[in-house]
Amino acid sequence: MFDRHQDLKTIRRCKRGEEAAFAEILGRYRGAIYNLCYRMTRNSEDARDLGQEVFIKVFSLLDRFDENYAFSSWLFRIGTNHCIDHLRRNRLRFLSLDGGVGPDGEEYEFQLPDSGPGPDTVLQRKEALERLEEVISELPPHYKAITLLRHDQQLSYEEIAEILQLPLGTVKARIHRARNQIQQMLAARSYDI
Amino acid sequence: MYGRKNKSDQPLGCKECKQGLQEYLDGTLEKPESLRFFLHLRECTACQEEHDRLQGLFRMLESLPDHEVPADFDGAVLASVPYAAYQAMEPLRRDRVPVFLEEAFLPRFVRARVTRLVGLGVASVAMALALRGDGSVLLPVLIVTGLLPEIVVRLQGLGRRALETTRRAES
Ligand SMILES: [Zn+2]
Repeated sequence: MFDRHQDLKTIRRCKRGEEAAFAEILGRYRGAIYNLCYRMTRNSEDARDLGQEVFIKVFSLLDRFDENYAFSSWLFRIGTNHCIDHLRRNRLRFLSLDGGVGPDGEEYEFQLPDSGPGPDTVLQRKEALERLEEVISELPPHYKAITLLRHDQQLSYEEIAEILQLPLGTVKARIHRARNQIQQMLAARSYDI
Repeated sequence: MYGRKNKSDQPLGCKECKQGLQEYLDGTLEKPESLRFFLHLRECTACQEEHDRLQGLFRMLESLPDHEVPADFDGAVLASVPYAAYQAMEPLRRDRVPVFLEEAFLPRFVRARVTRLVGLGVASVAMALALRGDGSVLLPVLIVTGLLPEIVVRLQGLGRRALETTRRAES
């Protein structure tokens, strides 16, 4: 969904030290990266800091970018990993929830809270979206990232596999599990969407 | 994950439908498989409800509101870019030529002056014989093989010079 050829031309200008080229890349990707960071953290200050750090990192490592891959994949890989690292460093926030992050941050058993608004509550669409964001934000970092790449960035399974450097089957299985978990969490809270 | 084969002639059951519903909605199933889901969903209210719920979730996930990027976002990023380092490294990067234009791309014996001279000699003798009317099929082969080392070495040189000229024109 991003123009790979256009990106490569701009990146080559960046490598020559052309200031305007860096601004172009920011213009193209700042929204996507900021929103990824925002949804990963649900905090605008964290999202700004993380987003800026991602671009600073990418812009200082351009010589390591392999031109055989799409720049967007490389950028999202660095962005996703940066957010996941951040969430792991701040793991306490997660432990305060009913779930726990496993040793590799991967397997995660959610104890679904049975509180929440009554089943007959009719929520407005805006509220429903807020509920959904809340639920997504409580997913384990890996599931959260994969859900956002698939549905928010609307990337294909193949692109996500390239970004996360995972086999296609693993990507599919994780997305399925993430969606199941979202549905369970929504149901447990009686959030009707 | 849903992936069993050789069942495409049988109607889909509810259990199978539930398992494969996400892939059906993702649009990653083969056409005949997809059709089995379509047919089952048309008949089965329970699965239809499940389908609608999941589709609703997909739509919601795809319409999460975008958050506005803070106005001061770019400043800190652009201030940190090592422009000077990139500019300083540029000549090093530019001097690199494609592998096939590098001298070492050709085997040493092809590049050797002796090979090229002998080749030219063989080719010119063969050409002289051919001009005198010797009709042997061996002559054209000798001419081509004799000229080959000289030609590839010269083509490589031309390629390198052309590359330099375009790069100078670019900058
Ligand atoms: Zn059914």
